[in-house]
Amino acid sequence: MAAMRMDPNIPDPDGFYAALVAAHQGLTDAQSAELNAKLVFLLANQLGDQTTLIECIEAAAASSGEATARRSS
Amino acid sequence: MTQSSRPGGSAGYELPVYPFVPPPELARGERAHHPIVIVGGGLSGLTLACDLAHRGIDSVVLDEDDTIGVRGASSRGICYAQKTLEIFARLGIYDRMREKGVTWSVGKTLSGRDVVYGFNLQVASASAQPPFINLQQFYVEWFLVDRIRELGRCDLRWKNKVVSVTQTDGEVTATVETPAGTYSLIADWLIDASGVNSRIRSGFGLDPHTSRIADRWCITDVRFKERFPIERWTWVEAPFNENRAVWQHPMADDVWRLDYQMPSDCDPDYVSRRDVAEDRLRAHLGDIGFELVWVGPYEYRDHLLDEFRHGRVFFIGDAAHVVSPFGARGGNSGIQDADNLGWKLALVLRNRAPVRLLETYDAERRAAAKENLEVASRTARFLAPQSEAERTLRRAAIDLARDHPFARVLVNTGRMSVANPYPGSPAVAGGGWSLPNVPLTLPDGSPSDLVTLARSVGTMFVGILYAPAPERDVSAMARLEAEGLPLRLFVSGPGGIADRSGRLAELLGATAGSFALIRPDLYLAALVANADAAQVQRVLHKALCLDTARVAA
Repeated sequence: MAAMRMDPNIPDPDGFYAALVAAHQGLTDAQSAELNAKLVFLLANQLGDQTTLIECIEAAAASSGEATARRSS
Repeated sequence: MTQSSRPGGSAGYELPVYPFVPPPELARGERAHHPIVIVGGGLSGLTLACDLAHRGIDSVVLDEDDTIGVRGASSRGICYAQKTLEIFARLGIYDRMREKGVTWSVGKTLSGRDVVYGFNLQVASASAQPPFINLQQFYVEWFLVDRIRELGRCDLRWKNKVVSVTQTDGEVTATVETPAGTYSLIADWLIDASGVNSRIRSGFGLDPHTSRIADRWCITDVRFKERFPIERWTWVEAPFNENRAVWQHPMADDVWRLDYQMPSDCDPDYVSRRDVAEDRLRAHLGDIGFELVWVGPYEYRDHLLDEFRHGRVFFIGDAAHVVSPFGARGGNSGIQDADNLGWKLALVLRNRAPVRLLETYDAERRAAAKENLEVASRTARFLAPQSEAERTLRRAAIDLARDHPFARVLVNTGRMSVANPYPGSPAVAGGGWSLPNVPLTLPDGSPSDLVTLARSVGTMFVGILYAPAPERDVSAMARLEAEGLPLRLFVSGPGGIADRSGRLAELLGATAGSFALIRPDLYLAALVANADAAQVQRVLHKALCLDTARVAA
């Protein structure tokens, strides 16, 4: 069904995460938000598959809903 | 800073005033029965009246005003798209539009001084008409009125205000107020082209599902001689408009249309004050002389009627649908509504097609309006972010667009009006799409094009059979017209019409033996490979919504 993959696919997860954190180092919240937005657009263009993109947006939205609910409980 | 604008001065236009003539119903107490009554003399109503006149069908147009244009000589809808221009070529006003208006095909979106997105619509164009002509709306309406008067089949009634409409199974009755008194008139079909605030629509209790949009603009028509490129320029965040959007379009008479996005909580009277508008123009144009022609605030809304037909009443143009203005999908779609409905009414009134054919108007044009609404709403949302997060996304897209081609397509200042494809139905199997006005050569060697060919056959389908095909099939197909079907057969090949550029065959995907059935509105109804007369008859019956059971027999 889903074109989106949920099994681990990043060769070096810790290295990727470290690079992401480093890119945000020293930025204001607004600058970080803009960096994330640019990253989304760049990654989306690498993916280039509409179905997968829409599924990823839905998955992210569903997941953030749970996180918000957890925080507020 | 010096400038030559005249504060408070008027560089406005003198629009024609048409005399009120007491209608025969009042003058002579006649109780006439009209086949077609059109309410509203705007773009869509006048286009329909002109189209019907061309087809030899009488109509009455009722307009509550005595001139064209509204709000004085405001430029209003200014971008006329290729399909519209092809329709106007058929109706005989295209040459005047080309002469008076400004032809363009290049659009650019700027951020500050950098171009972040651009297009040239001419590149993919196969039509004799250009992608766009810009022209003040009142000129287009003026040309249509002139043409309608020339054709002489339409009773244009000015100062005739429709106050109520009722209908039975058999007829529609409109009550009309005039300077000479109130009267009723009766019609087989009434077309509501009375615009965004249609009282006919509300009189029937039909909900157009209006949504107001909290986006405010100030529209400025300004005359100057400075040579800016003849292109559509848009800014999402213009430094000279407090980082809000700006539109820059050339129009006729050295007048430019400059639209400035305003804060959503602005005071509309203040932002359109002449001195305030002139300060804004100086910030944009710099130290040049200009003359303010028209200035006014603008806000917009969406709506879409559930059904474009209500018994014997059809809704066309803004009465049926309103979308946000980006991409020129308002006026153009109203004109294309008229183009879709005109030939169907003509065939039904002449008993050459069943009333059922009229149902395809709603199926096709509501789908078009729905598509336009979605496309234009996405642009509106890009231009008016509704949260800080949305603003961040937009800033990121524009920033990336400066350096990376992939991001340029995300920058959305309007996806320009196209001839909408129609969903598949028995009348257009597999979906209908509009054929551009490609060049053709007539049997005598003279150059022509598809629009001219369609115009020459009146309200008939154009059938094009790609040679070689068996002679008995050709004669059998040609006999269909003699049997009363509205089809004129052309053979493409030696001795027939020549598709020398091969452009039409390429668009159709036609090969030897293919038959293309092209409707009077130049939408492709069907393409049949290795066609014989029986197949041609079958697709034509379907396109006309004739009883298919009878056809199979």
